[in-house]
Amino acid sequence: MRVTTEVRAATRDRILAVAAERFTQDSWETTTTRDIAAAAGIANGTLFNYFASREAIVAALIEETMPDAAKQYRRRRPGDEPLDEELFSLEWTALKSLRRYRNFLAPALETVFSPLATPAREDPGAGLRKTHLETVAHILTDHGIPQPLPAVLLQLYWTLHLGVLAYWAADSSPHQEDAMALLDRSVKLFTASLTGGDGGPHIERKPE
Amino acid sequence: MNANLNELLNALPQDTAESEAELPREELERIFADLAMRRPPTTSLHRMWTIGELSVQVALAYGAQTVRGWFADAEERERHRMEANLRIGLKIFHRLGYLRGALMKAGQMVGSLPHVAPAQIVDTLDRLRFDAPPMHYSLIREVIENDLGRSPEEMFQSFEKEAFAAASIGQVHRATLKSGEQVAVKIQYPGIARTIDADLRSLATLLPPLRYIAGDGAGERFDQIRRMMKQEADYELEAESLRFARSIFADRDDIVLPKVYPEYSGSRVLTMEYLPGLHVGDFLADNPSQDLCDAFGAKICFSWYRMHAEKMNYADPHSGNYLFMNDGRLGLIDFGCMQHFRDIEYQPLSQTARMATGGMAVVREVLLTNGASEEEMADEAFLEICVESSRFIAEPVLHGGPFDYGDPIHLKRRLEWNLRICDNKSVIRNGSPFWMYYHRSDLALYALLYRLGARVDLSTLPIAEWWGMK
Repeated sequence: MRVTTEVRAATRDRILAVAAERFTQDSWETTTTRDIAAAAGIANGTLFNYFASREAIVAALIEETMPDAAKQYRRRRPGDEPLDEELFSLEWTALKSLRRYRNFLAPALETVFSPLATPAREDPGAGLRKTHLETVAHILTDHGIPQPLPAVLLQLYWTLHLGVLAYWAADSSPHQEDAMALLDRSVKLFTASLTGGDGGPHIERKPE
Repeated sequence: MNANLNELLNALPQDTAESEAELPREELERIFADLAMRRPPTTSLHRMWTIGELSVQVALAYGAQTVRGWFADAEERERHRMEANLRIGLKIFHRLGYLRGALMKAGQMVGSLPHVAPAQIVDTLDRLRFDAPPMHYSLIREVIENDLGRSPEEMFQSFEKEAFAAASIGQVHRATLKSGEQVAVKIQYPGIARTIDADLRSLATLLPPLRYIAGDGAGERFDQIRRMMKQEADYELEAESLRFARSIFADRDDIVLPKVYPEYSGSRVLTMEYLPGLHVGDFLADNPSQDLCDAFGAKICFSWYRMHAEKMNYADPHSGNYLFMNDGRLGLIDFGCMQHFRDIEYQPLSQTARMATGGMAVVREVLLTNGASEEEMADEAFLEICVESSRFIAEPVLHGGPFDYGDPIHLKRRLEWNLRICDNKSVIRNGSPFWMYYHRSDLALYALLYRLGARVDLSTLPIAEWWGMK
C-alpha cells in the first residue's frame, strides 16, 4: 500500500505526541524508541523511517515549537528595541514555548546538542542551529551589524544559547527567573563582544 | 590626592561658600585622608582585593584591618590559624555573587559589619553602589507577568519603558492605572533576592573565626545584618512597612508617604502612588529661601523622631528618599530598609537626653537595665563613648532654640565622633550592628540637614514627650 503524504504526516505527528508524553510521564533515560513505536501503534522499524534516533525526535519537538514562538515574538516585539532587548525577547519567547518539555529537555540536551557533534547527518541539532542562527543573523542585519558574522562570534552566540537553554531546563527557581537573569547577562555579553562596549543600548535599530 | 579620597569627598555634601570660609575644606580632607590612607597591617591582604570598585576596596581594607585586630590577643600560633581561616573566608566572600548588584550588596555589607567601616565609608558605599544591571522593557514585562500574572499592557493604561529612578536591586518606572492614577512601579531584577540570600549563607563561612573572638554574639550580629540585607529585597515587607508608616502621619503634618496598590504588587513588583517632587540637589539649585529650608528641615526632623516614637528607624540614609514637593510637603518614598527597635534598643534611645545630662551614673543605670554584659559595664572606655554618644544624639534636642545644622563646626565634630566610635576597640568588640545602622542613618540625616543649611528648633516638636522626658 502506498503511504500518502497525509498519512505520513499524521504518523509523524503521532510519534511526536506519544514521545513527548512518554518522555514527560516516564523519563528520558528509560523511554526507548521501541516504547515509542509500541505506544504509537507502529512497528519499531517503521519509526526509523521517520526519525533516526530519540535525539532526532527531541530535535523535531523543539523545531515544532519554533513557528509558534516566532509568532509570539513578532506579536510582542515593539519594533524599536535595542539589539540586546530584541535578542533577549527572541530567546525567552522560544524558551517559554518549550516550557511543557522542560522536565525531559535537561537530560536530552546532553546528546541532542553534544559539543562533540559535527554538522553531519547524524547531528540532530544541526538543523536547529542553522535555523536559529539565521534568525539571529536577520536581527543583527536589522541593527546594522555587517554579515556574515565571523565564525567565532557565531559560535560564541550558539555556545551562550546552549548554555542558557541547559541552565533553563534544570532551573528550579520560581518562573525560571535565574535563567532569565542568565539570558539577560549572556545577551549583554554577546552584544558587548560585537561592539567592544557594554552592548545593547548603544546599538539602535537601523532606520527603515 | 588619591582616587579613594576623591571618591569619598565627591560623595559628601558640597560645602557652601560660607562654610568653606569658616572651615577650610582641607580640614575635612585631612579627616578623610586619614581614613583613606589606612591600610591593613600586611599588604598581602590588601592586594587580595581585585574588585574594581575603589570604595569597596576601602571598606574591605577596613574589614580586614579590624577583624585582624580582634585576634590580637590570641596566642601566636592560634592567631595564624584564625587568620588563615579568615583569609579563606574572605576569599570566598570576595567571589560571592554572579550578579553585579549582589556583588555590590556584598561590598555594602562589609561596610555594615559591626563597626568594621566608619559610617562615612558606609555612607559612601551607599551612594556609590552599583545597582543591579539595568532592565530593558522585555525583561520588565516578563518579571511583571511572572509576579502579577498579567502584562503591563493589560494592567496599566500606560507604562513608561524608561526607568525614572534606580532602586538598589531594581528600577522604578512611572505608569498610569486604568483609573487614571499616577503610580511608581518598582521592579526587582530577577533572581537577585535569592542570590543575596545565597551570598549571605556563603558569608556564614566567616562566622567560625568571628565566634572565636566574639563568642555566640557574632552569630547574633550576623543574623541582624542578614535580616537587614534581606529586608531590602522583600517588597511585601516594604509594602507593609509603608502602610504602617503612612498610618502614623496626619494630613496636618505635611508629610506624605505613597499609597501602596496591593492588587498591582507582589514579591518582585511594588506599585505605589507617584509623588511629584525634587531631590535635594535640584531643590537647592533653585536657591530656596532660608525659611523654606528651615521648614523642610523641621519636617525631616519631625518625620525622623515621629517614626522613632513608633519604635522604628528610617534606616536607609539615601538622600534621594526625601522629596521636596512644590506645595511645601515632604515626601518619603523608600521603606525597604527599616529598623524596628526592640526594648533593649529603644530604652537607651528614648533615655538619650537623660543620659546626656546625667552623665556616667545614668549611662551605667540605663545600660545595666537594658542587658549590658558585665564585660561592657567594666569597660570604662566603652562607657565613656556611650556618654559621648548620648550627648551627640541629644544635642539638637537639648539645644534650646533653633539648632543650626548648617554649621560646619558641628559637622566636623560629628564626623570626628564617628571616627572615635570606629576606632574604639570596646565598641568594635561589643558593638551591635543595630547601632551601626542607626549611626549610619543618623549621620546621613545630619548630612542632609547640613546640605539644606536648616535651622530647626526641636523644642517645638513633641520629641521630649516621645522620649519620655515629660
